[in-house]
Formats: sequence, C-alpha cells, structure tokens
Amino acid sequence: MRILGIETSCDETAAAVVEDARAILSNVVASQMTTHGKYGGVVPELASREHLRAIVPVVRDALEQAGCSLADLSAVAVTEGPGLVGSLLVGITYAKSLCFAKSLPLIGVNHMEGHIHAVLLEAAADGRQVLFPVLALVASGGHTHLFEVREPGQYRLLGRTRDDAAGEAFDKVAKLLGFPYPGGPIIDRLAPHGDPHGVRFTLAKMKGNPLDFSFSGLKTAVVRWVEQRDLAAEIETRRALVRHNPAPAREDWLAVTPKSTLDLLASFQQTVVDELLRRALAAAEVMDAETVIISGGVACNAGLRKAAASARFGCPVLFPTPALSTDNAVMIAAAAFPKLERKQFAGWDLRARAHLTLA
Amino acid sequence: MLRFETASEAETIALGEKLARQVFPAHGVVLLTGGLGAGKTTLVKGIVRERAPSFREEVSSPTYTLIHEYGDPVTVYHVDLYRLDHERELATLGLEELLDRGALLVVEWPEKFPRIWPVRRVDVRIERGPGDQRSVTVLESQAL
Repeated sequence: MRILGIETSCDETAAAVVEDARAILSNVVASQMTTHGKYGGVVPELASREHLRAIVPVVRDALEQAGCSLADLSAVAVTEGPGLVGSLLVGITYAKSLCFAKSLPLIGVNHMEGHIHAVLLEAAADGRQVLFPVLALVASGGHTHLFEVREPGQYRLLGRTRDDAAGEAFDKVAKLLGFPYPGGPIIDRLAPHGDPHGVRFTLAKMKGNPLDFSFSGLKTAVVRWVEQRDLAAEIETRRALVRHNPAPAREDWLAVTPKSTLDLLASFQQTVVDELLRRALAAAEVMDAETVIISGGVACNAGLRKAAASARFGCPVLFPTPALSTDNAVMIAAAAFPKLERKQFAGWDLRARAHLTLA
Repeated sequence: MLRFETASEAETIALGEKLARQVFPAHGVVLLTGGLGAGKTTLVKGIVRERAPSFREEVSSPTYTLIHEYGDPVTVYHVDLYRLDHERELATLGLEELLDRGALLVVEWPEKFPRIWPVRRVDVRIERGPGDQRSVTVLESQAL
C-alpha cells in the first residue's frame, strides 16, 4: 500500500510517497534554505503564497520519483496542524482536491506525530523492533515537547516549552552573534572548539510542571553576556564573511571567532542539551519508557546525539537520520499508515488547526 | 504615557493582564518593542490570559510560526516579525486582513517595518533592568 504525504505547516513545501510504512519511494522538500540562501539569515518562503507556488510541482516530482500515479495510491495524508493556518491550508486544500478527484481516502496527520513516525519508519526499514511505551522528545525551531506514547497512536503530553523552542534559541543566539540563518548547525559545528564550562549561566528555577522546558532565560543570559563585552567588530567581521562567502566552512568561522565566543557557544549548546536531556531523563523515569525517541530539527545536533548516547536512559535512544529530522512529508505519510489500517479518515470538513495538540 | 516597573516574570504577566483589561482597546494594533529577551512574549502571556481565558495552554514564542491565534473566535493575534526582513515577506502574512477581524493584533519586532503601522495604535516598550526587572512604557496614539 502506498500513501502520498503532503506537509506545508511551516517553511517547507514537501511531498513524499511511502510504501507499507517502511519504504521511502520518494521524498521531495522545497526549502527556503536552498532557494533563498542568498538572503542569508532570512526565511522568505513563509506563507501560503509561497506554498501555492511550490505545491503542484513538488507533488508531481514526488509521484514521478516514486514511479507511480495517483491511481496507485491507497490514501493521501496531509498535515492538519500545528502550524501557520495559511500554510497548512494550501496542503490541506490540495490534498482534498486530489482525494475528491480520484476518490481516495483523506487522512489528517498531526505534524508532531509525524516527527515521531520518522523514527518508527526507519526502525521498521532496518527490521528493528521498537518497544513501547516510548518517550518522544520532539525538538525543532517551532516545538519542544515531551510525549508519552503508550502504544502507536496513543499520546499523552508530558511537558513542553513555556517560551522559546530549543531550535529557536539556537538560531536567535547565532543571529545575535552575527552568524547567518539557520544558526543551530553552525553553533553545533563550532561548539567542540570551545570550553562547555567556559561561561556559567545562572538560570532561574521554574515553578510548575518539572517536565516543562524554558529557554528564554538562557537567551537573555546570552544577550547580557554579549552586552557586557564589545563584540561589534567581531560580529561585523562574521557578517562580512557571509557577504563574501554564503557558505563558510568551519575553518572560515574559526578564523573570525575568538576563543571567548567559542566558549560561549560551547557553553550555550551544553546548557540547551542538558536542559533537554535532564527533562527527558526525568520523563522516561516517570513513565518507565522502554524506548526513547528524539526527533525534530534539533535532533540533527551532534552535541545532543553524543550526550544522549551516554545519558543513563536505561533503554535504547533512537534518532532519525538528518534528512528525516527536519520537516518532510515522509513522516506524514508514515504516520498515516496506522490510521489507514483503522480506517480513520478525515472528512471534507478537515480544517487547518494552528494549535492542534497531540494527546 | 504610562510607565510601569515589574520585578519578576509573574509581575510582567500580571501587567499584561492589567493592560489588556484597562488600557488596550477591544480591537486594534498593539506594537511591542524591546530587544531579545526583554520579555515581550511574557507580557503577551498576560494579555492572552485576560482576553482569551479559554486558552489554557502555554503562550509561547511565535518566532517560527509567525502568527499565533488565541480564543475561539480569535480575540488575540500574536505576531512576531523577527524572522522577516523584506516587505514582500510581510505582505504574505495578510496582516490587514487580521485587522478587520475585530481582534487585538499584538506585534513583536514592529520596528523592522516602521512605516506600515496605522496611526491609531498602542506602542508598548519593554526594557530590561537588572535581573528580572523590567520597565514598561505604554504610549497611546490619538483617541482610540
């Protein structure tokens, strides 16, 4: 059985065809990073108009690369939320039209459920069994959530960020220091060159749910650190580097980033990773997790992967490959298979839901 | 012009509630300026608590999602222009349309596009003091 997945919840217009919840027949992502790299630091493909431009060719490419036509599909799956309503609507409306024209079942998928299924799909492809209950940490530019997954399709929210998402904190700190968007991967590449204990951040203790995250206090601490120093010249040097070389290598960055700033980056990354893993460890213990899944764009972070591998979870910790960590439609199609089995189809009244929650 | 001082995150949230109850119009534009980490989203938590009490989840930063909606029907749109640099991108958000919906439009980083805002609006400026202290200045334009 083949499902066409469509994802337009944020900046990426994506379509993919997946077979039997394990084989990726195609995976097409039209991303602002490749299209608009020249803007550096900007993400212009933001709203419905940009998705509208991309949706038809992206779906066509996904079908072509999969070597199949609409007639070969068992269903069309689309992200119904959370995300930007205008963006979601493009994918939903297009998916509805395809289903209406070809009499196919329509399946609505939660974007975060998708991130979890990216990992389940890859495990299935490798013939690895995933034991439940699963603790899922979904961390990206827009989300930082902890879910308990008792069994496939059953989610309970354990904790979430109260302010900034983890990926957002990375990108904002990078931008503050003159690095281009997306800054997370750059910080990750430079962090090993700094001392992760070089800068000590004192963060306020939070009241309330101990499984909730907070990153805005850390962000403010970095802002203060920068304000206390005269970094204007250093920051300008980095901005100038990007103007001449849109994709600097690690050596280029190291040449324009003094040790004190490298220490800051390393310490910042260490603090974010500690915050993510500390709450994930506590959650895994509370729910007696048999498997931990870490997914979403921040799951690409090498520092996080390394730290998670040596953290004492007492059960396997699974990450998606980088291509399936960031937003894609493979995960949307993958998450739709259990719903196809249960005949959990959406009606024509399926609507975009900005604040859709899982659980 | 009104000036307030808050000493903690909780006080900043409470101030957001108070402004939403006593100062802000039923619908219209509130421009929220203040640097990274000033507490803009924290203030919005209070605004949403007052104007969209049915929303029980956490109000978080819309930097990535650009627009968050609160209330059913929507009474508060929380917009963040941090990631936008060109007016062309702004045009795709359809802010004028949101303005017609009789809700409060709260905008973070409005200073990136200084020329596009209506004259009738409320300007709120948040500044960081030491620790968790914040000073908040509210400036109402003409009669609203």
